[in-house]
Amino acid sequence: MINFVCLVLHNKRSAQFKKYLFIYLFIYFLFSPSVNYKVTGRDSLVFLVDASKEMFIKGEDGEPSNFDITMQCVRSVYTSKIISSHRDLVALVFYGTEKSKNPRNSFKHVYVYHDLDEPGAKRVQDVEALRGERGARLAADTMGSGEVSLGDALWCCSNLYSDIKLRLSHKRLMIFTCMDQPHGGDSTKDRQARTKAGDLKETGVVIDLMHLMKPGGFDVSLFFCDIVSPPEDESELGLQVEPCGKLDDLQKRVQAKQQKKRAMARVNLCLGEGMNVAVGVYANAVTARKPSAIRLYRETNEPVHSKTRTFHTQTGSLLLPSETRKAQVYGNRQIVMEKDEVDTIKKFYDPEIFLIGFKPMEKLKLHHHIRPSVLLYPEEQQVTGSSCVFAALLKKCTEKKVFAVCRYTPRRNYPPRFVALVPQREEVDESNVQVTPPGFNAIFLPFADDIRKLDTPQFPTASDVQVDKMKEIITKMRFKYRSDAFENPVIQQHYRNLEALALDMLAPESIEDFIMPKVEQIDRRLGPLVDEFKELVYPASYNPDSKPAAKHRQDNEKKPKVEIPEAELRAHIKNGTLGKLTVPVLKEACKQFGIRTTGTKKQELMDALIAQMAK
Amino acid sequence: MARAAKSALVLCMDVGFSMSNSPPGEEPPFDQAKKVIQKFVQRQVFSESKDEMALVLFGTDATKNPLDQDGQYQHITVRRQLMAPDFELLEEIENHVRPESQQTDCIFSLVAVGLFIQRIKMLVKKYDRLNIVLLTDLSTQVSSDNLDVIIGNLGKLGITLQFLNFFIHMCDPENSNNMGNSYYRPGVGKGLSREQKQGLEMVRDIMLSLDEDEGLDQVYTFSEAIEQLFMFKHIERRPMAWPCQLTIGSSLSIRIVGYKAVTDEKLKKMWITVDAQTSKRDDVKRETVYCLDDDNETEVQKDDTIQGFRYGSDIVPFSKVDQEQMKYKHDGKCFAVLGFTKHDSVWCSLWFQTIKMFAPKDDEHAGVALSALIQALDKLNMVAIVRYAYDRRCNPQVGAAFPCIKQTYECLVYVQLPFMEDLRQFSFPSLENKKFTPSESQLAAVDSLIDSMMLVEEDENGQKEDMYKVHEIPNPAFQRLFQCLHHRAVNPGTPLPTMEQWLKDALERPSAISERCQAPLEEMKRKFPLKAVEKKKELKTGAQIFGKGSAEPDAKKSKVDEEEEEFNLAKISEGNVTSVGSVDPARDFRSLINQKSLPFGEVCQQLTHRIEQLLSNRSTHYYMKCITCIQTFREQSVKLGNADLYNSYLQSLKKSIPNSGLQVFWDLLVQGMISLFIGEEKKEVETEPAVDDAGDVDDLVSVCLNSSALKYLMFVS
Repeated sequence: MINFVCLVLHNKRSAQFKKYLFIYLFIYFLFSPSVNYKVTGRDSLVFLVDASKEMFIKGEDGEPSNFDITMQCVRSVYTSKIISSHRDLVALVFYGTEKSKNPRNSFKHVYVYHDLDEPGAKRVQDVEALRGERGARLAADTMGSGEVSLGDALWCCSNLYSDIKLRLSHKRLMIFTCMDQPHGGDSTKDRQARTKAGDLKETGVVIDLMHLMKPGGFDVSLFFCDIVSPPEDESELGLQVEPCGKLDDLQKRVQAKQQKKRAMARVNLCLGEGMNVAVGVYANAVTARKPSAIRLYRETNEPVHSKTRTFHTQTGSLLLPSETRKAQVYGNRQIVMEKDEVDTIKKFYDPEIFLIGFKPMEKLKLHHHIRPSVLLYPEEQQVTGSSCVFAALLKKCTEKKVFAVCRYTPRRNYPPRFVALVPQREEVDESNVQVTPPGFNAIFLPFADDIRKLDTPQFPTASDVQVDKMKEIITKMRFKYRSDAFENPVIQQHYRNLEALALDMLAPESIEDFIMPKVEQIDRRLGPLVDEFKELVYPASYNPDSKPAAKHRQDNEKKPKVEIPEAELRAHIKNGTLGKLTVPVLKEACKQFGIRTTGTKKQELMDALIAQMAK
Repeated sequence: MARAAKSALVLCMDVGFSMSNSPPGEEPPFDQAKKVIQKFVQRQVFSESKDEMALVLFGTDATKNPLDQDGQYQHITVRRQLMAPDFELLEEIENHVRPESQQTDCIFSLVAVGLFIQRIKMLVKKYDRLNIVLLTDLSTQVSSDNLDVIIGNLGKLGITLQFLNFFIHMCDPENSNNMGNSYYRPGVGKGLSREQKQGLEMVRDIMLSLDEDEGLDQVYTFSEAIEQLFMFKHIERRPMAWPCQLTIGSSLSIRIVGYKAVTDEKLKKMWITVDAQTSKRDDVKRETVYCLDDDNETEVQKDDTIQGFRYGSDIVPFSKVDQEQMKYKHDGKCFAVLGFTKHDSVWCSLWFQTIKMFAPKDDEHAGVALSALIQALDKLNMVAIVRYAYDRRCNPQVGAAFPCIKQTYECLVYVQLPFMEDLRQFSFPSLENKKFTPSESQLAAVDSLIDSMMLVEEDENGQKEDMYKVHEIPNPAFQRLFQCLHHRAVNPGTPLPTMEQWLKDALERPSAISERCQAPLEEMKRKFPLKAVEKKKELKTGAQIFGKGSAEPDAKKSKVDEEEEEFNLAKISEGNVTSVGSVDPARDFRSLINQKSLPFGEVCQQLTHRIEQLLSNRSTHYYMKCITCIQTFREQSVKLGNADLYNSYLQSLKKSIPNSGLQVFWDLLVQGMISLFIGEEKKEVETEPAVDDAGDVDDLVSVCLNSSALKYLMFVS
């Protein structure tokens, strides 16, 4: 996971605009897999922000103050959390304030701005208000800057955690400060803070430091190295010590640990009788969809819930599931079955991946995929020794250039599918970051029913000159594809709209449609090549943009035939004989009277016509 | 919409005398032929084809046909007119087709069928194809003098008669295999009777005269036919053409037509819910109502609801109209190239279907242009990254267009690529770990296993043969469903059949492979020790402690286990409790126990100390707090299986009551708790003194440990 973050960081460095980074961050939060949300508890995150005077000092050249940067960051995390996993709890606490506000008011100079709770529109607006010039003024008015006691602040945070009665799966505390010696060398306070930090860490809270730019550099070793949680991985140490002054770095750190890795299934890979290797099945890609709508009562905007009831039409009594059966109609006959029979029909095997055999790689048809592939990785916790067999298989399959054909039953009462297990060796980039994980990619293979027979038209193949010209075009338009380069504009737009509505924004933030061809650039790049190619393949009279002429003429001939005088139509409507007319006639009639119809069904057309005539 | 091509098929079955003759030990041709017909009709029924079917029997004792005049066309019965096949036809075949004793010239009956079809043809009905399937053993005397008439008759029907299928029963099984193609080669038909040979000659003449190229391949033996028909028909869908233009930049466009080539096919029909008694669909109605979240669950009309979306803790009303207005809009149908990239850089797939792109049939120029693109991509080993939108209503996709060059055609293959939002980029620990690195001998074992299990092998000619073609296996889910539906329809009231053997076999490892891999597999088992880890269970589950009724299903139990575990986790993380404080001593006590940082004894001491402190206040409010403490003390002791401290404390407390004037508290305690002492309900926690003491107090508090009380004990928090 850490590696993944590094990867993101790597990508981001190339980006230039902070705005862009915001969007980036936004999106990464957006799509942490909240789909598979298993109730093991919620994540929680406390922002503990230094509000001492130093935080409000603006940088040179009008760069925003550290406080401003922090608020931007908090806002972006709020908005992202709202979308990615709104069930997570977030809190915002300031320390080193003049005024204090906390439960029971037992701590001075600690201002709990937001309690640990699910973020909502109000909170985003609150944080928004703290941004910029006016935000600084507001902060000074409401909180002010005063004495710093990190120990008290941490204590207060620990109370926030302990007041939560929900299960928390992950507890994280992030300290934002630009002071490497918050207490100015007061050893009592330092000690107190260390003890409190220690207590927090004992209860499972991970403390992170987001040290901001400070003239003369931020020295973590002076004080904060004892406060923060030890890095989980040694490689992270390098990151920790480096001061992160820039917004993008800061944001990158915040978005850590958002993706939850969860197996879709844990099954046995059965090599043969008595040889079972435990594997976890992980999705490589899952289609992200818009979140589903919630139904609200028009008057009060309160959510309503739906109840579905099954009842008997004759007696009106409610039917229990046992009082109904399932049926299908084939060959003019209704065939009835019990519900559990319907289930048993679907059952073939217990969940497993059963090895059938191996085939050479060239036998795998690249485009014969019907579903997104999944990744298999051994589960040592279920069957010890699995990893070793798995590693050996992976190694040998790669060496021998073969893939395994397996029968995959993901769940009980689930018919099997065949998968090709394609070995995937671990790949790391120059900085030792995992690019592709090791494992078998399971590619779903189609059954005979899934393949459609097509009539394939035959054409003369292109000549070498023509092909070479196209090669030139292709070479001009080469780019390096990265799978994470394209955002789904539909989903992005939806979230922007939602955000605009929720936060009372005037207009939604505009999105960039990454999957739109950059026509101008392409044209510029290709220059005369297009015309040269066209000259080679198309005769002068040929226009690929127009429809074939023959078809047009046919259409024109047909049209007058189907027109129908208004009087006749009215007569039909009057006599209720509209159904006698054919669909093309009805359609034409609709056009005639300027009725826009989306439907193609006869009834829809008829209804539209009747409605129009009644006017 | 154009109506789907409809074809008509006449099944002509010989039910005559010779059909029921067979050498001992062999299935008579009649039975085989009947099976063929049944299977065939079954397939047609479940594939829901619009093709119509008729059944004509010849060699019947009775005569029933429209041509029955003046003693002509005798012993021919039309069992069923041309119509869509259904279960009635199946039942008719099952019950009414039986061997009869007459003999009819099969060629002669063909004439009858021909005429029969001709009559139908005259009756408006239009068919694209007319097929006749003749099932006979050809062992009757054929009158060759009729041949001219026959050919003439069939010829009149012209192209409509596309092919004839003859199912010939062969007496000699050795020859039956090559019969299909080479039946007229001299010497092959050794086992044929003179009549059969003659019949074949005749058939050949007809076939040739009808100028059918494939005609000669259309002869099958019964057993071959059964093999062909044993499975239910595949789903066949006519691919819809999707005409569009492939664009590169603003000025280069190539006309293309896309067809879905591979897709996860689903059945069209869904299960419907019917009433169990009447089996009528109309008797059951489902309705969905919307209720407010108040106590009365007030119902509201659907029209009075609007839609909203969650935005964090808020729900933002966002009507359909607004949504429609604000949503992402695009220009509709498009297949625009964004750029080109290396073939191997697109691997991670979100491939639900593949679409093949061709040039339009009548447009040669587009064909050439597309061919240039395909060839160029192929030579450069590149793919095109495209924006694809089916139409205005559909969301646009990003995808890759691969070149695909086959012997007979070229096309672009389009597959969808994932958006950034769809990706799940997980990293996994490396397997190049010393702990998991396989040894040389282990690798060798895997090596030989793979070798023994290769499904593709070269035969002596260097031809590669694939013995397990997944794309030729029909979807077992459909096959099984049809099998069960068919069974239920024909034999109502009987339990569902087991899976058909051929299907079972098709889904298993080929027997050759499973034999070959036996030894390497044994070797693997020796080389790789595998041990299934017993699922860790929380030791102190309610069920284990109190012996909960075993009637509860396992699933439920394990759920409880999980909850328990998580519950503890939650409690562990309740904050940094270091000692039992006075604010909420019970909670602190629980947390400390869960943290396990202090010994149990010490925590208990802290708690009892706190209780003494609180009791000294002599106020009901504090009493209540103490009772909670004692309840918690008890609950935790039960959980940890250590009741000594609790019991002894309670003893001393009880003793101290009269002296300290805390009788009020004691009464409250007795009321508020189900049982004071631990011991009676939990045998594992055998605490010798407590058992005695428990006897003491039991008369004070009537203890009834019912299950709900136990639950209360378990979940009190």
